[in-house]
Order: sequence, then C-alpha cells, then structure tokens
Amino acid sequence: MPRAKARPSRGPSLASLQRGLRPTGRLRGLSATTCADRMRLASGGREISGGTVLTQSRCDQHWKKMPAPATTYERIVYKNPSEYHYMKVRLEFQDCGVALNAAQFKQLLVSALKDLFGEVDAALPLDVLTYEEKTLSAILRICSSGLVKLWSSLTLLGSYKGKNCAFRVIQVSPFLLALSGNSRELVLN
Amino acid sequence: MVRFKHRYLLCEVVSDDPRCRLTLEDRVLGTLVRDTIARVHGTFGAAACSIGFAVRYLNAYTGIVLLRCRKEFYRLVWSALPFITYLENKGHRYLCFLNTLHVGGTIRTCQKFLIQYNRRQLLTLLQNCTDEGEREAIQKSVTKSCLLEEESAGEELSDSGGEEAAEPME
Repeated sequence: MPRAKARPSRGPSLASLQRGLRPTGRLRGLSATTCADRMRLASGGREISGGTVLTQSRCDQHWKKMPAPATTYERIVYKNPSEYHYMKVRLEFQDCGVALNAAQFKQLLVSALKDLFGEVDAALPLDVLTYEEKTLSAILRICSSGLVKLWSSLTLLGSYKGKNCAFRVIQVSPFLLALSGNSRELVLN
Repeated sequence: MVRFKHRYLLCEVVSDDPRCRLTLEDRVLGTLVRDTIARVHGTFGAAACSIGFAVRYLNAYTGIVLLRCRKEFYRLVWSALPFITYLENKGHRYLCFLNTLHVGGTIRTCQKFLIQYNRRQLLTLLQNCTDEGEREAIQKSVTKSCLLEEESAGEELSDSGGEEAAEPME
C-alpha cells in the first residue's frame, strides 16, 4: 500500500500563530509575546533573554545581531513618474471668426474650472505652455492630481460670451516630449 | 449593512456682536452654508453636498450648530465652513465665523462631546467672571453638572435626556 510522503514537521503553522493560538511544541515556554516575534520564531528565529527574537540573516550565518550599515542610502520609488500632465487641446467654435488672445484663453479655462469645481479648484496651478491664435490650439500643463478635474471641466464647457464652442482634446501625456509627435498624424508614403 | 452613512459637524458660531446669535435660524444658516459650498466647490460641490445636508440642531443662546452631511462628501462641507464670514438676516449683516468643534458619525457622539465641552466652558467662564451674581449662578450650574456627571458615571449608560438639563444657557 503506498504511503503518503512524510512531510517534516515545522511546528505550528504561521497561520495558526497569526490567529493567536497558544504556541505548542517547540515554541512552548517561550516568552515572545508579540505576533511579529512569534512569526519570527516560527520561521526559524531563536529567542534570547529579554524576549527579543533574532533571525538568521542571509549574509552571515552566525547568530549575532546585524551591524548597522556604514553608509545609509535611500531609495525613492515613484508610483507616478511625473508630477505634471500635459494636454494638447483645440478650441472649436460653431461659427467662425472668433478670436481669442492668450490671456482670454486662460481666462476661459479658469472660468470653466471655477464653474464646475469652485474657487478652490480654479486656483489649481494651470499653465498654458504654447498657444496658437490662428488654430486656437494650446498645450496645457496641470499637476497630476488636477488632471481629471481640468478634463471634466473642459468637457462641460459649452459657450464663450454667448457663442457655442467645444474643446477637442487631442493628446494627453505625462511627458512633454510625447506631445511633439502624434502617431495619428503620420502620413504613410 | 447597507445604509446611508452621515457625518455630523458640530460647530460654534463666534461673533463680536451679541445680537448675531439671537438672529440664528436653521433655514437661514442652511441656505448660507449651501451658497458658500456652491461658491467654494462649484456646481459639483453644491450638488454633492446638498443631497444629505440638513441643519439638525441649533442653539441660539450658545451658538451651537449641528450640520449633517453624507460621509463621502463631508470634507467638502468642512472645508467650505471657514469661508463663511458673515450672517445676513432681515437686512442686517453680522460678521461672524464658524468654529468646528467636533465631527462625529452619530448625533449621540456629538451630544456626548457637547456635554463635556459645555462643562469645560463653565469652568473657564467661572474663572473669567467679574460679576458676583453671575459667579454664584455659574457655581451653582457647575456643582449641578458635576453631580449629574457622577451619577451617570456610576450608572449604566442611561438615556442622555437627563443630562441635557445640565446644559447651561448663557
């Protein structure tokens, strides 16, 4: 009759310790009280007097405390690589012949934000990096937390001084370099 | 369980003018807060905060106001309160500001906080008191509230209707 493969016993499982059951077997009689200490014990640590638990480090095999590193370094991980988002937008009017200069364009953007999100979000740091008066297109820069608010307020902007208009968002990217070329505008020869 | 959760903001109306508090009305204050939210947070804020918004309790003598709002948008309401600078009623404009004392999930927690806060206020009033008659009145209220506090600490958590009587009126 085939026997089941005997597995070496490893003491109480981590799961049972996490559930807070009393330690049995190897861990009985030890005074490590915190859950972290018990987990360290279960994963092969050794208790010394005073209730602290040492774990065996990978680099040195001796049972001694890890010495403090001589140089400390800091590793910074960014979840979002860029603080700003860049948008390429174009303003379209229903009737032709409407001209705006750069200041009026920015005023329109700020008033759109103010309308939907109030004075607090109208003060978001928004920059118009380039503006072309002939085509009414611009590149905007906004901090990443305000991108959704700006985009939604541009979507809901309907009119300027009584004339119907709409914002067309051509490209959005966290990197300005990406706005220099648009693969949709490439022409195949 | 599935239910709408609210946050209750306990605020105090602070003003130089003593007539300001007497002209407090819940509808006036409600419209004032709603207009301020619309100004500060726009159409989105006004719509989001006005669904579950209500003025639950108003004490004209102490200037205590209890506002209710939905849990998801209570920060919008809370951040709009410092932008309230005046109270307008019947053509008179009084300069005032709203001081938020406590944010609670239920009316009961706000009430408990208010009782403790009023006890502390009584003691500070006693120290700053100048008139002898006022001093005696405040001392009586202080001893009465201390007795009630000991009673309630000894018993089980009873209904706080009895303790409401200890809340003093200025």
